[in-house]
Amino acid sequence: MSSVSPAIEIRHLRVDYGSFVAVNDLSLSVPAGEVFGLVGPNGAGKTSTFRVLTTLMEPTYGEVSLAGIDILERPAEARRVLGYMPDLAPVPKDLKVGEFLEFYAEAYRLGNREEWRTRVDECLAEVALTDQRGQWCHQLSRGQTQRVVLAKTLLHRPSVLILDEPASGLDPLARRDLRNALRHLAKNGATVIVSSHILSELAEMCTSLCVMNRGQVLASGSVEDVRRQLGETNRRITVKPLGQAEAAAAWLMSQTGVRELLSQEGAITFSFDGDDEAQADLLSGLLGQGLRLTSFEEKRSSYEDILLGVAERNRRS
Amino acid sequence: MSQATPPPDRPVPVWKLWANPIFRRYCRSRLRPQGLLISLLVVVLLAGFMVTVAWAVGTRRSGTEVDAARSAVFPLLGLQGFILFILGTAQAAGGMTAERDEGVIDYQRLLPLPPLAKVLGFLAGLPVREYVMFAATLPFTAWALWRGEVPWTAWAPLYLAVLVSTQLYHFTGLLAGTVVRNRRWAFLVSIGLVFGLYTVIPRLADFGLVFFRYLTITPVLDSVGHDLLPTVGRMARSLKESGNHGPAQFFVFEIPALAFTLLTQGGLILAFAAMLCRKWREEEAHLLSKVSAALSFLWVQFLLLGNALPMIEQGTIFPSFAWTGQIRPTLLEARIMAGLYGLTTLLLLFLLALIITPSSDKQIRGWRRAHKLGRTSLPRNSDAATSFAVIGALALVGAGCWFWFARCLVQSSWFGQQAVGGGVFLWFLALLVGLSLGFQALLENKGGKAVFLAVIFVGVVPLMAGTVFAILNFPDLASWVAGFSPLAQPFYATLGLIPDPATPEFLNQLPASSRVGTVLAVVAAALLARRLWQARRRLAAGQEAE
Repeated sequence: MSSVSPAIEIRHLRVDYGSFVAVNDLSLSVPAGEVFGLVGPNGAGKTSTFRVLTTLMEPTYGEVSLAGIDILERPAEARRVLGYMPDLAPVPKDLKVGEFLEFYAEAYRLGNREEWRTRVDECLAEVALTDQRGQWCHQLSRGQTQRVVLAKTLLHRPSVLILDEPASGLDPLARRDLRNALRHLAKNGATVIVSSHILSELAEMCTSLCVMNRGQVLASGSVEDVRRQLGETNRRITVKPLGQAEAAAAWLMSQTGVRELLSQEGAITFSFDGDDEAQADLLSGLLGQGLRLTSFEEKRSSYEDILLGVAERNRRS
Repeated sequence: MSQATPPPDRPVPVWKLWANPIFRRYCRSRLRPQGLLISLLVVVLLAGFMVTVAWAVGTRRSGTEVDAARSAVFPLLGLQGFILFILGTAQAAGGMTAERDEGVIDYQRLLPLPPLAKVLGFLAGLPVREYVMFAATLPFTAWALWRGEVPWTAWAPLYLAVLVSTQLYHFTGLLAGTVVRNRRWAFLVSIGLVFGLYTVIPRLADFGLVFFRYLTITPVLDSVGHDLLPTVGRMARSLKESGNHGPAQFFVFEIPALAFTLLTQGGLILAFAAMLCRKWREEEAHLLSKVSAALSFLWVQFLLLGNALPMIEQGTIFPSFAWTGQIRPTLLEARIMAGLYGLTTLLLLFLLALIITPSSDKQIRGWRRAHKLGRTSLPRNSDAATSFAVIGALALVGAGCWFWFARCLVQSSWFGQQAVGGGVFLWFLALLVGLSLGFQALLENKGGKAVFLAVIFVGVVPLMAGTVFAILNFPDLASWVAGFSPLAQPFYATLGLIPDPATPEFLNQLPASSRVGTVLAVVAAALLARRLWQARRRLAAGQEAE
């Protein structure tokens, strides 16, 4: 065990709403400077976990610490080191962007009026919204609203950032900006925990992930680790022989690791359980049979497919 | 950018309202020139119209400028009351629910401000435009008071009472906005409460619950009103003759109406402030701790009795006096008043049980925390601890207060030789303890839904059935069935236990159903309490094993 305490540590977290278990025995540890993703479909328990992390909800069981601070015992101290951006990034309808941020800068006692105004300008610049300072919050686009709330979250320089679905509703350009902003924050020592129900979205921006479903952890670790833990090592391969499709299909059927073969309109599609070396042997074998191929194409399942598959398996069980 | 620097630990001093960021935020949003100017224009127009009309009519009718100016004071007071009490309260309630609806309330929860600073920021900030509108009426009021030669001893207490009542109603609005999830309901509850205080609650005062009058500005208005009104005219005369303008009677003391109003409202303001602070500290906290719930109950009983008892021998407490202006009390009305006191105490116990009884989730969390800290039991005042003992103790105190009130009322010099013995106390005790502990144990065992069903089927349905039987001309059956309702039992107890030869016989011989109902409540409470005890032991053991 490292002597430096992790930025976020959750042990055996459980959150109940009456008889419904929203989070069940969640344990994870996030080192400082990481961008950590929490992914799962709606109802997976992400928001409940975040509400506990932000001290807004007391868990049924479990222990949580942020930057070494036990949030159940010292919630006021924990609130000082965390920045929280809730789902849907709400903003007040009766304030302008600058006023909204100045209110929080003032509440966090960020020096005198000049200092907090400077800090607001810095944060607006960081999310590229300097020109929107005088605009009403309710007139902003969805992406701009997300960025304003991110700016608010950054105001008091929190060491732990908790962002609930920050990328939802963002266009690809804004997502790229967000990804860069989060990496920049992590590089400067902040620990970021982000949630999303879109795995590919998090895979782009996170250094490590935790996949949740129905309150439980399905997999955690690096993106590749998560793939492996979810059992998604198989590939879907499509072969197009030049003639002799039946012979090619018959030969493939006899090979180890080939499943779910389908031959249609001259193309043969099948699942293959094997690593890269086995796949190379399969291709050599095909060619060794004297078959001529116009294409040999591998397609991996998308993250969403994996997640949907796991969710479906869980639902059935 | 340095990310690991926590913000400086310098909380805003609670008393520095002008430095309170929440107050300043609402000053910004609610005092924007465009919206404010329109509101001020309307207010100035209305106030100017009132003063002009009052002056024009007054000078023609009374002939003196003093009376003409005075006739503008009450209309202006009405306008100010509307602005502060109705608009301000609605804004306080609506503003809080809007914060939650918009989703920004979580930001506020995380702000490094003391809970009291947050409460005061919202209290002063949400209705800030209404305060400015009120201020706009003050020049007109000042002119009317000056030209009407109203002594400061009349207007100063009145306006102090107005400002304190405003705080009370705004606190009510904030609380409604914090507790009630729906914006429309929060608005209706807070406005309904203010409206009820000036319409329904005074009727309760007619039945001896005089304390409720002091939640309004009415007692202060009664005591100084004759100096604010024109010297001639029916209103001033009737106010002088009403007999309500004296000091408040409190046990053996006579306390000025203003001081008693401030005392009464101040207690509630403190209670509301404590509730809101608890909610800001922890969203899922109970509104009151067990100790503060007990203190609130004792405070209300103290004020109820202190107000009511001295008025008994004077005869001014009886509804017949309020309705006819003559003191001719009957034993029947005394018994009904005693029943109403019992019902109020019972409802107060139910309300406190709802506030301080922990849900099973809360108990589990409490036990987990206790075990983590190496404790073998829950702290008694913690939210997770059972409220059974507290409710039981309060029921005991409530029964004592109820008995004291009934005894003073019935044994007063108005009714000769009536005796209210110790047996009556025991019955009152059984009734309050049985019903309140039954309610508490059901709530803690089975939750809010079971209680709601019990209220419908045990509390309301017997009354409805009794009404139907009464309409169908089965009076015996009607009173028998209605007697099962806990809401009817306090009245049945006082009517049945304190007989009166002058009243119809059926009112003295109330059916046994109410007594059966009380006995059933006691038995049910005992059974539920046993289950509660077993469940808690299981819970404690379960959490220890985790």
